Amino acid sequence: MDEEYRMVIPGILSKVPEVCDFVVSVARKVGLDDRAAYHCQMAVDEACTNIIEHGYGRNNPGGWIEIICCDKPDRYVIRIVDDSPPFNPLLHAEPDPNAALSERGRGGWGIYFIKKMMDEATYAYENNRNHLTIAKLKTPKNLAATRGAGLETGTPVRPLDKGYWEIIPNGRLESNTAPGLQSVLNGQIESGRVRLVVNMSDVTYISTSGLKVLVNTWRRARERGGDVKLAGLTPHVLEVFETVGFDQLFGIYHTVDDALQSITDEAA
Amino acid sequence: MEIKTSELKRVTLFEITGRIDSTNANELGEALNTAIDTGHTQIVVDLSGVEYMSSAGLREMVTALKKVKRGTGDLRLAAPSERVLEVLELAGLDSIFEIFPTQVEAVGSF
Repeated sequence: MDEEYRMVIPGILSKVPEVCDFVVSVARKVGLDDRAAYHCQMAVDEACTNIIEHGYGRNNPGGWIEIICCDKPDRYVIRIVDDSPPFNPLLHAEPDPNAALSERGRGGWGIYFIKKMMDEATYAYENNRNHLTIAKLKTPKNLAATRGAGLETGTPVRPLDKGYWEIIPNGRLESNTAPGLQSVLNGQIESGRVRLVVNMSDVTYISTSGLKVLVNTWRRARERGGDVKLAGLTPHVLEVFETVGFDQLFGIYHTVDDALQSITDEAA
Repeated sequence: MEIKTSELKRVTLFEITGRIDSTNANELGEALNTAIDTGHTQIVVDLSGVEYMSSAGLREMVTALKKVKRGTGDLRLAAPSERVLEVLELAGLDSIFEIFPTQVEAVGSF
């Protein structure tokens, strides 16, 4: 089930910054980067400000605004609900960004920013309420590089194309560091990221404990319809894989790009 | 939002920090308006400390720019963050305002 976060504020401007903080904190929680979180903040700020200033009227408090943030697998959805008179902001005439200074009025930009900054925007009037639903897609461009599962292993995880995720361990992968990497990889698999490329270029040494972690992860990913590919192995680490025959098990590539390229080739 | 105003030789400098949104943009508008009404029409707004700006902030700056341009004045912007610069660009304001990477360059441009 998708995770939902909900907030209700009275329709007064001084409460809008609290909504902004709320929307940004959830945006960060679902993995969006600074820029995408800023866009969400601004879109929600503009939408709430319009509802308060035009829907309820600056001098007519008493209304409320409900904000529901929903973490979907492929997008961050924000629904803004109010019970001011029916008004579809998306049909509002857009101001012209190419207009000269003298042609510029004072208003209209809020809705323009909502449309420009969000990937989707829809409006519905249901149950006597305005529902504005906006979304930011979880494309690699919009996602932050995250530190694996909040562990202190310093193993960066970042999104690649084609639904793959890059895991970047570093240093010596042996009995005392392997459990940390295993936790990071387990965290990925459990959150549904079953297509992984482990970038091994900064791994200077691998022991049997390290090998075991990668094989476990490979098996778990395969069981869930995914895969684990390895890229950038140093000659010494590659030799270890060859010695135990694991080079036959994993797809092993010179670079992360080569690994991604192979996916296209397989599909074709 | 905090506004710090300084009188330089040829320029009135506004250094703004924090958030500019619909809860406080009118304060910025009033501060600019007061300066312009008292003859200070060569203005630099330093945005380096602005972490967030909504359309309410843009609106006040555009209104102030219109007002100074009625005479021989100008309002120039300095050091917007990457995020704020994107907002300015989306609204087409990067071709309406002169924007400088640093306060020194903006002040020196007058």
